[in-house]
Amino acid sequence: MVDLPPDPIQMTIAMITSPLFLKVAIFPGLTSIGIIAAILTWLDRKITARVQLRIGPQYVSPFGGILQSFADLIKLAFKELIIPEKADRFFFILAPVFGLVLGAGLIALIPFSPETLISNVEVGLPVFLAFVTLSPTLVLLAGWSANSKYPFIGGLRSLFQQTGYEIPLWLSSIGVVMLAGSFNLTKIVQAQSTGWFILPQLLGAIIFLVTSVAEQERIPFDLPEAEPEIIMGWQAEYPGFLFLAAQGAGFVKLYAFSALFATIYLGGYLGPGPQFLGLFWSLFKTTIMIVLVILLRGAFGRVRLDQLLKYGWTLLLGLAIINIAITYFLIEGFPAI
Amino acid sequence: MVAEGIPELVYYLGFITVNTLALVVILILLVSPRDKKPTPVKRAPFESGQIAVGRGRTRFIIQYYPYLLMFVVYDVVAMFLFAWAVNLRTLGAAGTIPVLVFVSVLLVPLGYALHLANRPENW
Amino acid sequence: MTDPAFLVVAAVTIIGAIMAIEARDLVYGAAALGISFLGIAGLFILLDATYVAAFQISVYIGAVVVLILFTVMLVGPAKGEAPMEHKRASLFAAVLVSMFLGIGGSLASANAFPGVEVCGSGCDLQILSQTLLNNYGTQLELLSFVLVAAVIGALTLAKTEKA
Repeated sequence: MVDLPPDPIQMTIAMITSPLFLKVAIFPGLTSIGIIAAILTWLDRKITARVQLRIGPQYVSPFGGILQSFADLIKLAFKELIIPEKADRFFFILAPVFGLVLGAGLIALIPFSPETLISNVEVGLPVFLAFVTLSPTLVLLAGWSANSKYPFIGGLRSLFQQTGYEIPLWLSSIGVVMLAGSFNLTKIVQAQSTGWFILPQLLGAIIFLVTSVAEQERIPFDLPEAEPEIIMGWQAEYPGFLFLAAQGAGFVKLYAFSALFATIYLGGYLGPGPQFLGLFWSLFKTTIMIVLVILLRGAFGRVRLDQLLKYGWTLLLGLAIINIAITYFLIEGFPAI
Repeated sequence: MVAEGIPELVYYLGFITVNTLALVVILILLVSPRDKKPTPVKRAPFESGQIAVGRGRTRFIIQYYPYLLMFVVYDVVAMFLFAWAVNLRTLGAAGTIPVLVFVSVLLVPLGYALHLANRPENW
Repeated sequence: MTDPAFLVVAAVTIIGAIMAIEARDLVYGAAALGISFLGIAGLFILLDATYVAAFQISVYIGAVVVLILFTVMLVGPAKGEAPMEHKRASLFAAVLVSMFLGIGGSLASANAFPGVEVCGSGCDLQILSQTLLNNYGTQLELLSFVLVAAVIGALTLAKTEKA
């Protein structure tokens, strides 16, 4: 007897309703990332505006202009793609696209709750940091490919800034690994059931926050996109939806880093109340971190490149190593932590 | 055979890459308007109105090159530090000594690189 | 039948390496090298060494390829310079590389060092780091000295002497 091949329609329906596909496509996957990135662009503009005593986006919908970013999305999608004539088209188009894919990849590793985790890799934290390390390569290629002075300078500045702040980012997260004894993000959350890691790791958390804001090229570290000086830095020549991709990648990274901070320092999905509220708690903590980082934008000026690199490589690196030493003595002294 | 979580991650990344590339292709081919008669100034590099002179890939800020080199070295240092950190509770003090010596030895080139960096006269 | 995942990853690695050598534009070559390293990370993943794969990606693609790209962009080929052809040298290089592959392959096989326990797929990060730090501590220090020498050499060679 020959087995009949399975009915393709049934197979497609089975695949679409499988839990993995729902996680990948809806939440915390593709659709939710797109919507959250759009909401974050609006949130960034709104909060920055309020801090600066302006109103911000207000026209596009009855509630505070929240649909503004969707309107921008539609507008940018229909713009003409003007690529500079001596630019390298292959990298020019692919670099921001892969930046988006990279940012989205970061979200897959975060345990928003034990059920809505896409990928429970045993070495979750190094994989997350490996994705982050790929970002300077893409920005360097993007800045180079436009073959124009200001994007190239912006790309180089971004390269030095991101590589310079990557090492303190890694070293500050080592403290968390020491306390939890595992790289697995779910196990790190579980290890915080006796106390969130932000308390023994206060120095490390502050370093992590500062370096992650530098990694995302947000103000006060927005030198690579310095608007009044070099137009938009490496994004200057990007038309239409490629600009959208570059900006969107930045906001997806904001989401990812805030979620990681909430996971490794603030206890992730742990919180008072019944088990199924875990998702709410992790999203709540992520939102707090996002709002905190956005508020930094309104509060600070810009750091100069040579100051930035000098302090990144001396002060922050030294503090991160001191944090590792402090955590070591904490563990040796109080094995119960 | 493959570690837990990797197939889901590969599936997810593949899904996102395929969708994003498909979206980009659709946008480029179908949606973006074309200009039938482009003027030459439209495709020139943008410098806020001034005419661009010279090569597009100029000043290299080479005085920060030592930072890039130290990034490579400390990337490797971080790899060993992670390996040490995850097993700290089982290793104890005896396993910490090699790592301590390793990190302190590698502070020497960091000092040399910081001394050399950000001084344009050295490059 | 070999695992299709292995075939795909190996193909990516080899094609990336070939493109890295044969590319006309050096920036494309460096990017192809990055793809090849991604293939090697895939091989590590298939060998159940995800930790090594993650650091392969961040050290090789994230740092070494960035350095190569930076250098290539800084010192690109002069305009109009044709790539050089060395047929006899290529043959010699092919023989040399095959010898190294043969030696490396036989060392990597399980029969190379009888009596030493090979860590199977139950090998996890704990055993790795314990072995590394307890048994191979001296080698770690030697590695650090090699790194110091490399960095100080690179910086000394690259900087200009004061006039």
